[in-house]
Amino acid sequence: MAADGQNIPVKCLKCHVALRTPIVCDGCHSLFPPPPEADYFALLGMPRTYAIDEKKLYSSYLAIARGVHPDRFTSASDEDRSLATRLSAALNQAYDVLSDPVRRADYLLEIAGGPSAAEMREVPGDFLADIMTLREEIDQAKTAQDDNALLRHREAVVARRQETRRRIAALAESCADLDNRQRAELRRLLNSMNYYDNLLTELAVDPFAAPAKSTND
Amino acid sequence: MTDDHDIIIGIDLGTTNSLVAFGDEAGPHLIAGPAGEDDVLLPSVVSFNDAGRVARIGGEARAHAVERPATTVYSIKRLMGKGVRDLTDDLGRLPYLIERRSGEDGRDLATVVIGDQRYTPPEISAMILRELKTRAERHFGRPVTKAVITVPAQFDDAQRQATRDAGLIAGLDVVRIINEPTAAALAYGLDRTEHATIAVYDLGGGTFDISILRLEDGVFEVLATNGDTHLGGDDFDHALIDLFTREIHEQFGVDITTPAIKQQLRTLSENIKILLSDRDSAPVEIDLGTGRVYRRLITRGEFETMIVPLVERTIEACSRAVKTAKLTPQGIQQVVLVGGSTRVPFVRRRVAEVFQRRPYTALNPEQVVALGAGVQASLLAGVKRDVLLLDVTPLSLGIETLGGALGKLIPANTRIPCRASETFTTFQDGQTNVKINVLQGERELVKDCRSLGVFELQGIPPMPAGIPKIDVTFLIDQNGILNVSATERRSGRTASVQIVPSHGLTRDEVHRMQREALEHASEDMAAHHLIDVRTTLEFDLHKAEQMVERFGHLLDVSGRNAMVAEIQGLREFAMQCTDPRRLNERRETFNRMTIPLAELAIKASLGSEEEAAGKETVCHAGRETREGEVGGCVEPTLRSVEN
Repeated sequence: MAADGQNIPVKCLKCHVALRTPIVCDGCHSLFPPPPEADYFALLGMPRTYAIDEKKLYSSYLAIARGVHPDRFTSASDEDRSLATRLSAALNQAYDVLSDPVRRADYLLEIAGGPSAAEMREVPGDFLADIMTLREEIDQAKTAQDDNALLRHREAVVARRQETRRRIAALAESCADLDNRQRAELRRLLNSMNYYDNLLTELAVDPFAAPAKSTND
Repeated sequence: MTDDHDIIIGIDLGTTNSLVAFGDEAGPHLIAGPAGEDDVLLPSVVSFNDAGRVARIGGEARAHAVERPATTVYSIKRLMGKGVRDLTDDLGRLPYLIERRSGEDGRDLATVVIGDQRYTPPEISAMILRELKTRAERHFGRPVTKAVITVPAQFDDAQRQATRDAGLIAGLDVVRIINEPTAAALAYGLDRTEHATIAVYDLGGGTFDISILRLEDGVFEVLATNGDTHLGGDDFDHALIDLFTREIHEQFGVDITTPAIKQQLRTLSENIKILLSDRDSAPVEIDLGTGRVYRRLITRGEFETMIVPLVERTIEACSRAVKTAKLTPQGIQQVVLVGGSTRVPFVRRRVAEVFQRRPYTALNPEQVVALGAGVQASLLAGVKRDVLLLDVTPLSLGIETLGGALGKLIPANTRIPCRASETFTTFQDGQTNVKINVLQGERELVKDCRSLGVFELQGIPPMPAGIPKIDVTFLIDQNGILNVSATERRSGRTASVQIVPSHGLTRDEVHRMQREALEHASEDMAAHHLIDVRTTLEFDLHKAEQMVERFGHLLDVSGRNAMVAEIQGLREFAMQCTDPRRLNERRETFNRMTIPLAELAIKASLGSEEEAAGKETVCHAGRETREGEVGGCVEPTLRSVEN
């Protein structure tokens, strides 16, 4: 796979307009099956990098979605309709992954050769012991119905999650150049994110009950 | 709608009422029934004769519900895509007989038994759809074969498939199934340019949906959806019914068991609920016979206390949706109310409280979904507008794994179309098929989720156990309907996927029902259709008479006499003619004949009221929509003149 991630045909085979994405032409609205080598970044017409411009990603997603959404192909052939559905599914999948910073990092690690979560389930050193302590404290606060303590715990988890995300970002930005040790470290950090997310779900406040407070990071 | 596009209609197939609409450049329009332009709600009720053949559909069927409870079917939407085991609550409440369909394939499919006949829910829904289709055909003056149909966002795959089957049985190609709250958002936001995040709170007769959407430059993006497919205005009625039943038992020792009284009680409760939206109290009086009369006054406060637990269930669902969308009430700029049950003041109050803003009620809550369906239909028909609908799947999709756990493949609130792949293998040497139980639901165990059906992969090349690798792709399309395909990796062969739906119809069954419905339609419905055509004709004749009276002087004498004679002649013909199609042809010819007079009439009325700019727009829109369809042109023109 090309290192720059721009491994897509440059021009439409039918009308020779420059292509934003390998799956649809903005000019003649033709659909093309995705080339097997096109990654999520290529599908969305974005450079392959962690530090992605999220606004640009969204507008690019919408522009391409307009072109491939099956609603555009209601009176087209069965073949085109089914291709539009498959392309939209592929595009949505790509966008879901790239628009989430953690999943985006995970995906870049996958492109760089892993390890995947299935291959390596470890988390960073003292992480599990920390989480267990934290969980006990949360349970105690819940039993005591100590809302202030719960709020404090929530803020602490959000802070730690953000710190982990920062470390993930630092590694993921140079993902293609990482050595084995660094890739393993990235894997462990990514694995730990699940635990934070579960804790936050547990600590989530009813949006209708609480006074205005930012819900997430 | 112009001639170079297929006509696509938009249908709101509701628990209580159904509507049909279409859209053009000017926006969406409801199509009225034979009783005139306000006749847009078709009660979702079908009544049968004792032999089990369709007798009446809509308002007339509902009017007979008290006299003929066991042969009047309402709330059929609650049964769509359901098994008898899913319906324990409804079985006691619905006055008609529901049985599990007998069959050897293990399917649990609820059917309605009327006399000697058995009908599946899609067949009964198809009768309502056919009535709406007829209304549309009468409006356009030509056949209509394509439709967008709305469903509650929380409908699962089986319920969506059942809705599509109903369309097929009615002779409609369902080009799109669209979620009701999303349709409402389309109707709400089509002409708005501001960027906004809105919540659509949709409480209908039998279902509740809450959807949060982001609206931006023609993009309608659903951020989260939640709800309950078994919660609606019907349940408010039942709260009242239960109260009255209990008190009647306490006071008189009488148990209400006969279907007729049950039905009477239901109608009464529904009316009281509606009364209590405008008044603080309502009198209740039920004659139990032999001098016993149950009397009481019920206050709005009492009613509200009874429905608190039901309304709180909707609020909890709202909370979950807001959480999923990662928002707070402050991040939501508008709350749009949809569905007849949002007329209940307590519902409005609670929604206003939790979202901390007064809900938007400018749109008619009973019509907005149909209007949205009309918008979507026009978009699909190619009426130009740069709109993109991005919806989500309401339920998680998974497969049964060892030990009865659910292996989640696609989580709820994933953008659709979406897909997931999973690799399967064999457990025995030479095994050539693999069965996969596919489920939908949010619970961890298979027994708490709904099985969509068992997908059987066939034609796997015989190999030692564990060697074949079958890649199965689960694709949820834009309608929220699942498609499964499979390939064996080594041979590259596409394995065929045979589906036994848990609560649905097979393709063959749908085709058979489609044929049967057509046959019966010509037998049973001809009489019904004839009445409709006669009613419409009488309506047209009456309008024409009025027009001759007011504007006849604009024609020459022979032209006027010809009109009068034609009206007279057609009236006589209508009495003898028994072929609805022939009668309709005569009606259309007649309408064409009235065009010159109609045009003179318009000119005359415009001349006398130059300043009536509003009227001119109405006339103009009326004519534009009907371009190239001379036959249908007269009706709206006449109406706009008269208004």
